[in-house]
Amino acid sequence: MKRKLIIKRIVLLIVVVFIGIQFVPSTYNQSDTLLETDISNTFDIPSKIQTLLENSCYDCHSNNTYYPWYNNIQPMSWMMERHIKNGKKELNFSEFGAYSKRRKKSKIKSIINQIKDDEMPLSSYTLLHRNAILSESDKLLIINWMENQRNNLK
Amino acid sequence: MKKSIYVLAVIALTFTACKNEQNKDDHKDDHHTEMHDNSDGHHDNDGDKSMGEKRNIESSDDKNDATSMMLDGYFQIKNGLVADDKKAAAKGGASLLKAFSEFDMSTLTEAQHKEYMEIVENATEQAEHIVKSPIDHQREHFDVLSNDMNDIITLLGTDKTLYQDFCPMYNDGKGAYWLSETKEIKNPFYGSKMLKCGKVHKQIN
Repeated sequence: MKRKLIIKRIVLLIVVVFIGIQFVPSTYNQSDTLLETDISNTFDIPSKIQTLLENSCYDCHSNNTYYPWYNNIQPMSWMMERHIKNGKKELNFSEFGAYSKRRKKSKIKSIINQIKDDEMPLSSYTLLHRNAILSESDKLLIINWMENQRNNLK
Repeated sequence: MKKSIYVLAVIALTFTACKNEQNKDDHKDDHHTEMHDNSDGHHDNDGDKSMGEKRNIESSDDKNDATSMMLDGYFQIKNGLVADDKKAAAKGGASLLKAFSEFDMSTLTEAQHKEYMEIVENATEQAEHIVKSPIDHQREHFDVLSNDMNDIITLLGTDKTLYQDFCPMYNDGKGAYWLSETKEIKNPFYGSKMLKCGKVHKQIN
């Protein structure tokens, strides 16, 4: 009898907390402007590659994230915010043009390695974003193109 | 009854997990926003093909102590990788970061300063990754870092005897360079798998 009451109270607490955190604001990573520093202003990107980058990378690695409906719910929103913050810090395609030549080359190397090692896009991301999955031929396409850009920077 | 407890436990765990993940957030200096305009093309770095190209900037003996500290950190990473020891390499990364942060840039001329900032910005990122990554990633970043270190040495000078070594197999056969304090070849990219693979490309000092 007493146990049931404790459980009811815990559930109530969780519900209250859950509702409460919905009111905590999140910052949204969205921008309509194409910056001067956008990678598309640095390199001539074939449209196929552009699409692949947008679908598989840009949510965390650009200034413009596409937010699905469940992102309006906490703690999903916080988790996404954290991913985006870390992703952009590591690599931001919207600001790629402002990187030094050295850093550009370094980042391209990392992009190639991460794709080759299957580390990127994150599996936790592709689980919920099936269109972000890169096929073997997609990977090769990106890697080869990236390799060429890197060589052109020398 | 028991089922409800399990459900509650799962929900509680989920919230705890989220909280823990947030606490892992580093509040590192956001040095990435320092954008240096390198468009004058004067200090082009051609990295991979050959290291140590002559630069037009004078180096000074005052920098030797500072580069000494940096090299120590770098060698710590290298030796960790040679020994297939991720933790030792990570420690080296931390030492290198410390050396960078303690370097007194007021000793540099304006031209040197600009050049140095560009190199160290990148080298710092590599070292940061080395501190927190598994060994394969450490090696990838060590590749880029080696290039940066070589450029720093060229810029600032050193009185140590160093060896620029080359491993022909790394990077899918494109090869990779590294700096060593010993003439004997000990490969950091492959460790015990191919310890003796590589050759001395050039001796410094």
